[in-house]
Amino acid sequence: MARVPEAHYQRRSMAAIVVYVAIVMLVRSPAREATSLPAQLMFALLPVAPMVYVIWLLARRIWASDELEQRTHLIGLGVATGIVAVVSLIGGFLAAGKVLTLEGAASFLLFIFPLLLLIYSATRAWVARRYGIDALCDDGVPMYQKFLIGALLLAGVATWLYSKGADDFDLGVLAGLSAALAIGAVLSGVRRWRSRRNARPEP
Amino acid sequence: MINRVRELRAGHAWSQADLADRLDVSRQTVNAIETGKYDPSLPLAFRIAKLFRTNIESIFEPGKE
Repeated sequence: MARVPEAHYQRRSMAAIVVYVAIVMLVRSPAREATSLPAQLMFALLPVAPMVYVIWLLARRIWASDELEQRTHLIGLGVATGIVAVVSLIGGFLAAGKVLTLEGAASFLLFIFPLLLLIYSATRAWVARRYGIDALCDDGVPMYQKFLIGALLLAGVATWLYSKGADDFDLGVLAGLSAALAIGAVLSGVRRWRSRRNARPEP
Repeated sequence: MINRVRELRAGHAWSQADLADRLDVSRQTVNAIETGKYDPSLPLAFRIAKLFRTNIESIFEPGKE
């Protein structure tokens, strides 16, 4: 399989995540208000489609990676799977012990996949750095710019939903994610500035 | 492991990206091999040796354990 350019993967996965966020926000009310089972199922499961696409992109990217890249992916996925498994067990037992309500446990499940992706990305970046690779910035687009674009996109979606009268929970989630990405942009920008300041030219 | 990949690449006046294209790996993997941060698998080591028309032992040698 041909190697997948990092920029190609980043663009498509970011677009899918934006579509995912938009669908999640748009179908929350229709999913609760739908009366027929097929409509309920359709609205409830619609957000899964863009995430399946992201998983397919990720699988294709790993399949087409070289041996060192596959090693970093594998370690990232292994660590993420282990941590998410423990977190899922904790959530499951808390729900079984009625410490978490059923609705709380359902919301908890929604964060499993984003948590997995987050831990996978962070672990892969850390492992890659040990091999002298900047895994978060190997497509020519600085990481702080990616964070910034994500923050602006989510802020844009939040503003649009606010104008449509979305509920406080949705706006809170989006504002929180946007703020987290903005902080990520600042931290990444500082890191980039410091590494550039200390950079030495390749012999 | 110590290797002569950078020296051989320079001998052909190839950039890391040129070598990466020829080996079908990423430029960063070439960089990791050259800097000794990553030891390639046997199949990749054979590809490197074949590309430079030499044997593996003349490119890679064990470093200090």
